[in-house]
Amino acid sequence: MANSKLKKTFLTPLGKDNPVFVQVLGICSTLAVTNKLENTVVMTLGVMFTTMLSSFTLSLIRKHIPARIRMMVETMIIATFVIIVDIVLKAYLPDIWKQLGPYVGLIITNCIIMGRAEAFALNNKPGLSLIDGLASGMGYAYVLLIIAFIRELLGTGSIWGIQVLGDWWTNWTIMIMPPGAFFMLAIFIWVVRESFMKEKKED
Amino acid sequence: MKKDGFYFLRVYPLVFMLIVTLICISIVTGLHLSTKSRVDANENLFLRTTVLQAADVAVPEDFREVNTLFESIVSEEDSFYKVSRADGSISFVVPTEGAGLWGLIKLMVGFDEELEELTGIGIFAQNETPGLGARIEEEWYRTQFSGKQGPFVLVDEGAGDSPDEIDAITGATRTSRAMLSILNDVFVSGPAVVRGE
Repeated sequence: MANSKLKKTFLTPLGKDNPVFVQVLGICSTLAVTNKLENTVVMTLGVMFTTMLSSFTLSLIRKHIPARIRMMVETMIIATFVIIVDIVLKAYLPDIWKQLGPYVGLIITNCIIMGRAEAFALNNKPGLSLIDGLASGMGYAYVLLIIAFIRELLGTGSIWGIQVLGDWWTNWTIMIMPPGAFFMLAIFIWVVRESFMKEKKED
Repeated sequence: MKKDGFYFLRVYPLVFMLIVTLICISIVTGLHLSTKSRVDANENLFLRTTVLQAADVAVPEDFREVNTLFESIVSEEDSFYKVSRADGSISFVVPTEGAGLWGLIKLMVGFDEELEELTGIGIFAQNETPGLGARIEEEWYRTQFSGKQGPFVLVDEGAGDSPDEIDAITGATRTSRAMLSILNDVFVSGPAVVRGE
């Protein structure tokens, strides 16, 4: 029983309740950081870290948070974890920190994190909230990585900064720019919903 | 504790928020202070790397070697750097900045001994579009400036041959133009700075 709830908590955000292609949350960063695979990996790790630990922490103190100021408390705790990510990147991965620029700080306003805190962490035990946060982060991560893979490949002919397509390849400049992410995301949502989520529509 | 009393509705939330804030601030401040020396060292190393790049000196991979090399061949003057290169010539590196597409571009520009041609540039800070304008940090772009003489004109990516032509970046016209205007300005103002005018 407990095990099946755990499994459900873990699998739902990866599939039928995915934060990006079902709930369509966190789109700002999906558009902004998916033009290079390397940046995307660091960004998604940052989001996973933050959703996981902020959900856990909020769940720990959920019975003590006054209902009227719960959003302030949530934002404060989320912001703390994001700034930890920012400082660690600045100290240990300065090159990537420079490239991600303001987007690390913008994790604070990522709706997925706030959404999981409101919808799940405030009503569930810490352990389960941690799993939910991690799974939501992973659900976000794999969608972004797929989009980043395609954008970097079509936009620059390379993967992880290594040229894989030959001279014959003409770079699709639009893929590198934010509109390219709009197209990719829309196509991705369409493909996933058409091919994997059909039975849901018939209900 | 009464659920609708003054204490529960007014005082408790305030105290709670205050405590949470204090805890969060202490964590962040502690982490900031404990990594500060490392962050400063990174910044300094990056600055030194860009000076060496501008002087067209090969930058070693290992950061300790960058520091040793920098200290042995670069002397810091008032508002520029004097770099003694391996072949005996001297390069003057002048820091400059200008507006890019999204924000300020800060860079180091190297001049040769006679202050007549460039030796290279090193980008210190920029916020250009990743994959497009941000390519000004890539090696092919930076190294094209060796031997160039202003005033400059822009040509298509990969087409710059004569000393006054600089390659634009395909898809990043506005960043390329910003770089053009920054470089045209510094080509006049840079030598003046070095001569102490």
